[in-house]
Amino acid sequence: MDDENLPDDETLVRRTQTGDTQAFDILWQKYSPRVYVLVYNMTADHEDANDLLLEVFAKAYRSISGFKGRSSFYTWIHAIAVNMTINFVKKRGRRLQMSLDDLDANVQNDPEFIDLTATNTPIREVDLSELQQRLNEAMMKLSVEHRAVVTMFDIQGIPHAEIANILGIPETTVRSRLFYAHRQLQNYLEEFRKK
Amino acid sequence: MMLDDQQLQKLLRIKRFEQPPPGYFNQALKEFHRRQREELLRHSAFQIWFERVASGIWSFRVPSYAYGAAFGFFLVVTVFVGSGIWNPSQEQLQASSSVTQAAPVLFESLDTQGQSLALNANLDWSKFDRPALSTQIVPALQPSPDALPRYILDGRPLSYKASFSF
Repeated sequence: MDDENLPDDETLVRRTQTGDTQAFDILWQKYSPRVYVLVYNMTADHEDANDLLLEVFAKAYRSISGFKGRSSFYTWIHAIAVNMTINFVKKRGRRLQMSLDDLDANVQNDPEFIDLTATNTPIREVDLSELQQRLNEAMMKLSVEHRAVVTMFDIQGIPHAEIANILGIPETTVRSRLFYAHRQLQNYLEEFRKK
Repeated sequence: MMLDDQQLQKLLRIKRFEQPPPGYFNQALKEFHRRQREELLRHSAFQIWFERVASGIWSFRVPSYAYGAAFGFFLVVTVFVGSGIWNPSQEQLQASSSVTQAAPVLFESLDTQGQSLALNANLDWSKFDRPALSTQIVPALQPSPDALPRYILDGRPLSYKASFSF
């Protein structure tokens, strides 16, 4: 089903609240890839991301009767996902071993990737899998709160104001967390290059 | 050469290409349905209802005007009680004194006449109306009307037959 032909989120939520499980399946189809990206980049583990994705949607389904529509469904489910993942990562502790999935072949055609590897940057010399590994390791050096902000802003492209809504923090805090996380990532990648 | 902000952001955006294998989300949806069915069978109807109510309570937000209204109500009650228009302790005191209205008369006579109480023949004995003043003591347990009579002779019951009429 094409995204444009789908009913809007408000209608789907209302239908789910009245017991229409198919409406919730459509919400799943719309948002599970985005929630997966968020959870995967915060946990750096496919198995954990898989479990958390299912738990996030199960919690959303159980709590949907209490959803009043003050925020969008997208913001609401992202808030559930971020909170559950932060709790999960804190309980699990720091795990540096990561499951590295292969990059999608489409990355070769991505203009940003072409631009990055064509110009004179430290990235030019490294291959794809090494690049992925470096990035994941650098991300895992961040605290889970900083990782959440970097994932939403840099990877998912969510604006600052929306991230502030999702996390329930002021926009200035989002910006300062991003600034700090970027500095840390830059330092870590620089250290790695020197080795 | 250190990565600048733009290069770092471009590098991070490449991570969006880290995707699960094709068909993963459809498989995950099936797994989600399976877990939902399992959960329904595992949880009792009460547990499901309780969870829904709890999530409803947590999502409930007190409207901002409610705080103002509560404070206003508190102020009104404080002023009302403080001004003495309504004083619950005084009312209770008056109510209790009306119940024991007869007593001061009796005590007055006792106080004034003191030790000559026994010798004073003019004392108004109607003030010592015991039934009016004293409470009646009624046994809490009374034999039921259809209980069988039991006779005791020299401390030994003649009949051991239990009445079973408690």
